[in-house]
Amino acid sequence: MTRSIRWLLVGLAVLLFGAASASAQESPAEPGTAAAAQAAGSAATSAAGPAAIVQKFGGKQSYDETEAVIIELAASGDEAVARALRALRDGDLYWRKGDEAVFIGKRQGDDIAIFDPMTGEPAGAVPRGEMEKVRIKNSIRNAVTTALGSLTLRADNPAQRMRAADTLFSEADPEMIASLGEAIAAEEDTAVRARMQEALASATLVSDLPASEKAEAAKILAARGDRESLSMLTRFAGSTDDPVAKKAAETAIVAIQSNIAFWNQMQNVWYGLSLGSVLLLAAIGLAITFGVMGVINMAHGEMVMIGAYTTYVVQEFIRTSAPGLFEFSLLIALPLAFLASGTVGLVMERFLIRFLYGRPLETLLATFGVSLILQQAVRTIFGPSNREVGNPDFMSGAFDLRLMSVNWNRLWIIVFAMVVFLALLAVLNKTPLGLQMRAVTQNRKMAAAMGIRTPWVDAMTFALGSGIAGIAGVALSQIDNVSPNLGQGYIIDSFMVVVFGGVGNLWGTLVGAMSLGIVNKFLEPYAGAVLGKIVVLVLIILFIQKRPRGLFAQKGRFVDA
Amino acid sequence: MILARFLGPRVWILVAVILAAAILVPLANLWLPADHPLHVPSYLVPLFGKYVCYALLALALDLVWGYCGILSLGHGAFFALGGYAMGMYLMRQIGSRGVYGNPELPDFMVFLNWQELPWYWTGFDQFWFAALMVMLVPGLLAFVFGYFAFRSRVTGVYLSIITQAMTYALLLAFFRNDMGFGGNNGLTDFKDILGFSIQADATRASLFAASCIALALSVLLVGWITRSKLGKLMVAVRDAESRTRFIGWRPEHVKLFAFTVSAVMAGIAGALYVPQVGIINPGEFAPVNSIEVVVWAAVGGRGTLVGPVIGALLVNYGKTVFTGVWPEGWLFILGGLFVFVTLILPRGIVGTIDHGWDAIRATRRARNAEKGEASDSEAAGDPRAVANPAE
Amino acid sequence: MGETSVVQKVADEIRVLSEPQGAAPPPAVSVAGGPADTAEQPDGGLPAQAGASSGPSRPAGAAMDPGTNPATSSAPNTMTSTATKAAEPAVSPHPYASMLREKRLASEANGRARRETLLYLDGVTKSFDGFKAINNLSLVIEKGEMRAIIGPNGAGKTTMMDIITGKTRPDKGEVFFNGDVDLTHHDEAAIASMGIGRKFQKPTVFESHTVEDNIRLSLAGPRSVLEALVHRKDAAERDRIEAILETTRLTARRATIAGGLSHGQKQWLEIGMLLAQDPELLLVDEPVAGMTDAETEETARLLREIARTRSVVVVEHDMHFVRELGVKVTCLHEGSVLSEGTLDKVSADPKVIEVYLGR
Repeated sequence: MTRSIRWLLVGLAVLLFGAASASAQESPAEPGTAAAAQAAGSAATSAAGPAAIVQKFGGKQSYDETEAVIIELAASGDEAVARALRALRDGDLYWRKGDEAVFIGKRQGDDIAIFDPMTGEPAGAVPRGEMEKVRIKNSIRNAVTTALGSLTLRADNPAQRMRAADTLFSEADPEMIASLGEAIAAEEDTAVRARMQEALASATLVSDLPASEKAEAAKILAARGDRESLSMLTRFAGSTDDPVAKKAAETAIVAIQSNIAFWNQMQNVWYGLSLGSVLLLAAIGLAITFGVMGVINMAHGEMVMIGAYTTYVVQEFIRTSAPGLFEFSLLIALPLAFLASGTVGLVMERFLIRFLYGRPLETLLATFGVSLILQQAVRTIFGPSNREVGNPDFMSGAFDLRLMSVNWNRLWIIVFAMVVFLALLAVLNKTPLGLQMRAVTQNRKMAAAMGIRTPWVDAMTFALGSGIAGIAGVALSQIDNVSPNLGQGYIIDSFMVVVFGGVGNLWGTLVGAMSLGIVNKFLEPYAGAVLGKIVVLVLIILFIQKRPRGLFAQKGRFVDA
Repeated sequence: MILARFLGPRVWILVAVILAAAILVPLANLWLPADHPLHVPSYLVPLFGKYVCYALLALALDLVWGYCGILSLGHGAFFALGGYAMGMYLMRQIGSRGVYGNPELPDFMVFLNWQELPWYWTGFDQFWFAALMVMLVPGLLAFVFGYFAFRSRVTGVYLSIITQAMTYALLLAFFRNDMGFGGNNGLTDFKDILGFSIQADATRASLFAASCIALALSVLLVGWITRSKLGKLMVAVRDAESRTRFIGWRPEHVKLFAFTVSAVMAGIAGALYVPQVGIINPGEFAPVNSIEVVVWAAVGGRGTLVGPVIGALLVNYGKTVFTGVWPEGWLFILGGLFVFVTLILPRGIVGTIDHGWDAIRATRRARNAEKGEASDSEAAGDPRAVANPAE
Repeated sequence: MGETSVVQKVADEIRVLSEPQGAAPPPAVSVAGGPADTAEQPDGGLPAQAGASSGPSRPAGAAMDPGTNPATSSAPNTMTSTATKAAEPAVSPHPYASMLREKRLASEANGRARRETLLYLDGVTKSFDGFKAINNLSLVIEKGEMRAIIGPNGAGKTTMMDIITGKTRPDKGEVFFNGDVDLTHHDEAAIASMGIGRKFQKPTVFESHTVEDNIRLSLAGPRSVLEALVHRKDAAERDRIEAILETTRLTARRATIAGGLSHGQKQWLEIGMLLAQDPELLLVDEPVAGMTDAETEETARLLREIARTRSVVVVEHDMHFVRELGVKVTCLHEGSVLSEGTLDKVSADPKVIEVYLGR
């Protein structure tokens, strides 16, 4: 089973590196096409070379000449020249007196820090006297703006056009209305056209177009419904005098606010799912040992802790011996953590728990003793303070989904929790061990009579539950402090999840974990994190009293997947 | 003497020893010169007092666990609540001697910029009120909690887990500053109790004596309860709950009674504990503390009166010694104790001795029966409750 | 009564059973004209016909008892009070009581008859997870009647007891005690206090208490926690315990810890605890399971003795034992009544034979 998980993870990791590199290029569209289009674009313009055209700004020239260069640049259709154009508009474009080379410059006292006009990379600093500004006037500025807009609005690549529309939306420049109109008329991609229409609407709001058009624009922005539109509309509603437009803007504001509220809720759900998957990971091993075997393992949290420390050891080893493998440290740690915690579980079952079957309260006390010993052992070996466990690249950072912010590590933990859950379900339902486990749970004597070695099954079941706790520890090491107390923080929550979901039912554990996570996150804004947790605990206590067997009480059968 | 037969000589010996300690330890501390071989140094008196409070807590747990079969993993919560009630009284006694010199508000409230005492602090400047709350608050919590839990027949491990969740919830709550109980730091820097300086040797000796007397009275109280018909009913509920129900008893009422009485005892233990150690903070609510109490009772022997007292004293003495010699080692020892006592010594020290004694008597009785002698001498009833470690 | 007579009796029973059409006339043919086949529509005229059976069954049971046991002599003394109580008519509701209930009672064809009964189950159904443990079960126990209930495993015997004692709530159907107490609205403790005692299949006694304490805890009386705390033993209590110990032959074992009793003795102790409750109705689940022949014989005697003053429902697999009881028999199958009547009648019923042997 670990093998299947590992392969799944390898697959996921491959997918993920693709996604990560794509996001590094800031491309919201499919990474392959974007890269290809860019390559094609630079090949097409290499004849004239946009960099070469930019150099034409150098030397003394008339406004008309400058404007001609601008038009030439716009015609190149290469997005890369936008930097130079913007610098020109802002009066930051310089040429060096010595060789007429063109740079973007920033004044620093008596010197000018210069940057490459195409890449924006620093090229040192030169005294002010050596540089000359490219002269501009208003008509030049307008020309630049138009050029900037049309430059990218006409790009071959829809992703580039999309980006242009996005930029224009934020800039909300009335000057661009005309070129936007042309671009919209020519646009064939509906998504891009919609984005352009939004950009047009944002520009319309600040233009001197008639109020009726502005009211229309407000509607378009309402449909877009993000925080940026909201602030644009709020500014507009505050400044306009026209009752119709004002009314339209206010309606739009209300619509956007409810949209934002909706996405806030979605964000809460997301946080809840994230917390729920953490709870699920922590509790799922317990669902086996407690739910299936009925063994109260108070040292379950320490199994999680051992998994987390295994990750730490693996990363330390990689850091000192094979730094290149760091990205794979979690994948390496997973099977090792499973083995480490599973072995500890096996030893516990053989030497302690099997003498206590049928005496749940004694089991509780004895395993609590083991948890104290394990904690202290880890404290003695690794020290009492938190240990640093690094996040591989694919686990760091975040991206936006509409109005929601999504952390990569949270996303991966949700995915991972689901994978573990499904894998465990498969083990229970599709493997011989799972079959024997279920047989022993349902009727120990009969199972023994059928030739199943029940002590062996007990030991394996307990080792499996513990091993899964270890795997959970690998994941939790990514979001929590790795300290000897790591396990203690999860044990009560885990029991709550299992008891709430219904003992002996994996699906119950899933639903229990997710609903507790979500309820917790929804309570937090009102009650605060600590109080929210208390409320949840109290709710569970009340719930258990209402339904002592949990949400999905086991009814004779084991888990029906 | 009827009473002696009623509780058995061993319990009376225990009570006598406790009461003797209540007199002798203060005397040895206050009257004997410092160089006298039997002199008890001042730093030991509150330490002994602490042990006695722990013994009382263990006895309270034994009433519910040993006799009634309810393994509460939340008794530390009742202990801490009693402690907080006492701590609130002690805080009010500081008056204007605090760092900020506010006559009305404790320092931490001034620090939080609070303008007036929260309503639930009113009355705690009176000792009688605080003493009442010491019993009432834990008792009420236990009553309400137990009412819901026992009514819906939450038993066994489930009950243990929700009691643990209860104390965990309280732990989180008391950590909050806006609860008005000093947050993380808890209540401390006490000055005096009933007008006597809390640092004075005489006060500490008196507190020790008071703890001993409370323990002795509690032993008698628990003895009385467990030897009554109700006590037999508790054991009956522990061993065969459904049977009691089908002969018309309501096990939930029996459990609720035991749980509430036990919580009140735990509260008193906490109240006596706080002035002797000089601080109460949310750490007392930690689930680990509550479970530790279980091991005291288990080591001594649950279902006996003497066992939990001996267990609490032994384990805590061991803790003091070990944390001095080998601090990291203590958790190994404690953890090992849990394992040892469940695996090897499930009846605890006293229970095991009893069991051996019973076995000897059983063989003797069998021999007597063979000789044809009537074994009616046993008919008066075994004065000791029978420990039954099998759940 | 010597060992030989017991053996002889058992041997007789075996002979009787091996000739199913009953060479020997059944000693207690008590059901006057009750049709053996009530399985199809048990709710029809059942209460009325069952009503006729109450009288004769008791003398029949008593007649079978040779009465040679010295212990029995003291039993009537202790049970006089209940005997008279049981003989009294059902406590009928006050005429001005509930208009609604009167209406309901009037609307029921057999409402009158029900109120004369001790235990009345009508159309009771209970299913677990889609499995119907009890399916439209109707059963009537008269005051003072002793009834044996047989049936294969899974016939719903234990579930029926659970429903009567309040452990399980039926999905639908009526369960009335003493004519007008709706048992579905009470819990175990309340039902036990009303006078229904129950013995479990597996003997359940307080293993760490002495035999005497077991009985003391079961004695009828106040059930409040505070009373128990301040309770004092008195002479009357001692006498009652003494009497029950004698009835159950446990006098010599009074100071023994119950956990140390033999299996049979535990069964008797549990019956003794039931007696101490002073119930009107005893539900006894497999009282002789795992007993020796001698113990079985003794248990039958004990139950017959109890049945003189109280109603008893016995669930049992052991046919010899049921025959020894000599009472009306109800055979359950798949949660409803398959056949009802004398043991001979029931065991001759082709449906019963099919259920026991056919599959």
